[in-house]
Amino acid sequence: MLKKTIKSNEFITFSIIVLLSLIIGIINPAFFSLATVFDVLRASIVPSIMAFGLLLVIIAGGVDISFVAFAALGAYGTHMLLLHYGYQGGILLYYIIACAIGLLAGSLSGFIITRFDVPMFDVSLATFTLWYGFIRFFIGSAKNFQIPEGAVGYYAKFITTVKDPFVGEAGLHISVIYVLVIGVLIHILLKYTTLGRGIYAIGGNKDVAIRSGFNVRRIILIIYMILGVLSAFAGVTQSFLSRHFEPTLFMTQNLDVIAAVILGGASINGGRGSVLGTFLGVVLMQLINRAMVLTGITVEWQELVIGLVLTIFISLPAMRDRINKKTRHPVEIPDEI
Amino acid sequence: MTSKILQVKNISKSFAGVKALDQISLTINEGEIVCLVGENGSGKSTLVKIISGVYSPDNGEIIINDHSYKKLTPIDSMREGVQVIYQDFSLFPNLSVAENLVINEHLSSGKKFVNWKEFDHIAAKGLAEINVSIPLDMMAGDLSTADRQLIAITKATLAKARVIIMDEPTTALTQKEIHSLFNIIMDLKKKGISTIFVSHKLNEVTEIADRTVIFRNGKKVMDQDAKTLDIKTMEWYMTGRELDKSGIQFSHVNQQTEPLLEVENLTLQGKFTNVTFSLNPGEVLGITGLLGSGRTELALSLFGETPANSGEIRIEGKTVSIKSIQDAMNNRIGYVPEDRVIEGLFLDQSISDNVVVRVINKLVNHLHLINPQSISQVSNEWITRLEVKTPNGNLPAKSLSGGNQQRLVLAKWLASDPKLLILNSPTVGVDVGSKASIHELIRNLANQGMGILIISDDVPELMQTCNRLILMRRGKITNEFKRETITEELLNKEMVANRSGMVQ
Repeated sequence: MLKKTIKSNEFITFSIIVLLSLIIGIINPAFFSLATVFDVLRASIVPSIMAFGLLLVIIAGGVDISFVAFAALGAYGTHMLLLHYGYQGGILLYYIIACAIGLLAGSLSGFIITRFDVPMFDVSLATFTLWYGFIRFFIGSAKNFQIPEGAVGYYAKFITTVKDPFVGEAGLHISVIYVLVIGVLIHILLKYTTLGRGIYAIGGNKDVAIRSGFNVRRIILIIYMILGVLSAFAGVTQSFLSRHFEPTLFMTQNLDVIAAVILGGASINGGRGSVLGTFLGVVLMQLINRAMVLTGITVEWQELVIGLVLTIFISLPAMRDRINKKTRHPVEIPDEI
Repeated sequence: MTSKILQVKNISKSFAGVKALDQISLTINEGEIVCLVGENGSGKSTLVKIISGVYSPDNGEIIINDHSYKKLTPIDSMREGVQVIYQDFSLFPNLSVAENLVINEHLSSGKKFVNWKEFDHIAAKGLAEINVSIPLDMMAGDLSTADRQLIAITKATLAKARVIIMDEPTTALTQKEIHSLFNIIMDLKKKGISTIFVSHKLNEVTEIADRTVIFRNGKKVMDQDAKTLDIKTMEWYMTGRELDKSGIQFSHVNQQTEPLLEVENLTLQGKFTNVTFSLNPGEVLGITGLLGSGRTELALSLFGETPANSGEIRIEGKTVSIKSIQDAMNNRIGYVPEDRVIEGLFLDQSISDNVVVRVINKLVNHLHLINPQSISQVSNEWITRLEVKTPNGNLPAKSLSGGNQQRLVLAKWLASDPKLLILNSPTVGVDVGSKASIHELIRNLANQGMGILIISDDVPELMQTCNRLILMRRGKITNEFKRETITEELLNKEMVANRSGMVQ
């Protein structure tokens, strides 16, 4: 059991996080503080929510780059719509409308994928451009900084705050609760529902999944509905945290989220991945970003380091297979030589 | 023991006007082991698909457990207790043994949630029932082929199978594993579960069958108690002709010429030690031994895939260093792998492209662009010479039957004009008719002066083709025979002697 834990991808990601924290902390002792923890968590909130949705796609053996467009469409679209009607209420209505938009956009992708049997990546390549184009053509192309009155202070709603000698007051934003709730729900979905096991089954062997009686089309459609909803949810959250709405929200960040999911131990070939690992992957990405700032290394190095860690990670399964192959046939190894 | 579980009556099925099955009737009794034998295209897999509900018959009737069906759906078939174990075992490599075992039943129960304790409980019970112990939490993808097959069988019994259909189940198994598979089939028989065993390997059929059914060209040509049936008769029924075994010409190998290949004290740590032998031009040398004896590893070392640690390889008297596949090809060594599907062919590419892939750099015009005309010329030549049966070289390689795919692999290597050809189990999964003609082809190549190494544990095949035989055991050459001085019985005995020495 212990051996299995140590060999697991989650443990490897966790170990890297610990190791990296120690290194940063030794170079810059200011790193070891609750303020840092709060800061890393805050930065992880939005990517985590999107990563949880994307995780489902990747476990099912697909890759998607269009989820960021769902987020932009949901957030920016909702905002411009409500602005038009002079809405001044709270954030809840934003979430409801945006999630509905995300659900529709996700369903459309899911429909195309399942109806015409197109690979998920191919469809996302098209819808990625489609939705950003749609936003700028039909909705608007300028950033908007008007926040409805009911949600003005939202960006600074903290569960708790600490006084930090270096950064002053630091708070734990309430939206980490979303991450916790969504994470637990997705975990339960993956581990304890027939639907979730179907997602792993599709990623393991799609033909066998069909033959076994999984409704593969329905499962993929549901995955895309969830991806759409979660992405739009993340888009609204991000917009309120940064206090502005933009038509090109997240446009260049989809690869970072994919990288985080892979860093979290999911296999890009499908069939493997977990919620905990994904969250750790997101945290690791944020930590690497901060490491550069805190240790005074320039931004150029940031990409290099993330690239290197990713290279190691994508080689891990292959290395493991090689080790397994060496130990797999104990019966027939000759004992005389 | 005579109650009928499954009956098919007067089943016919045509595809695009071609009769795949013609008025087939067949009865499977409770606890009976029926071997279904026939060449490729004889209709046996069509019948399996009709019984499992994948195809519906044009006419006729299927009766399972006294329920009569004009046509079956896969769900009907499973509900009546028919389970098919396909060659890929239909497992999820990324899921645990327990989950793989229980998932089908779980799905058909329509439950929305998963109870892991219950999964483990059902899985453990299922495995215990056929006396197998495999850790429940292991990923199916980490298991050996034999273990995956056991999981597939357990899955069938858990689904309350009454008839289990196994499609070529022994293809990827070692001798030892085949025996434990047979033991399990016998256990199933005691529990009243019938097995339909689809196979090419007639020696296995004689070992396990209660009754043998032979198909030829969509017709059932024989259905009789297996005890009264010998291999020769079966071959006759399968092919409709006597396979002439004595007709193969063994031209006299000129012992005076310089050996084509000399191998001296070749060693690969942990695989084989101090292997020494030589091969003359025009000679066919068989290297045999059980799986794990080092025979395949030796072949791969000669081909540069896993270079040997020490020892010497000489080709036509000259010492050569073979450290990579490229080295081997430069020395005009060809290797035809055992698994033609994975290693030998680009299944989605055209037949022509497959033929020329090894020599494509020679088929260019003065601008170093590929010349389509030379491609079709070269490929047509080999398609004709090796009698690859296809209407058109532009069809994908996967459109060919197993035997023709194997010819195509050979064509691919022959196009590159090798001096030395290494064949690993050249006729695995190939039906008897094609087998005989591939053997003839091997002999003809040797008669033209090529040196050929055959790695195989198919004793009749070795006796058919080889001038000389080397027996390997635990990475060492333990014996050498001339073809004239050994019989099939003797060679079988030698291999079995080795086996008992191996299992401690």
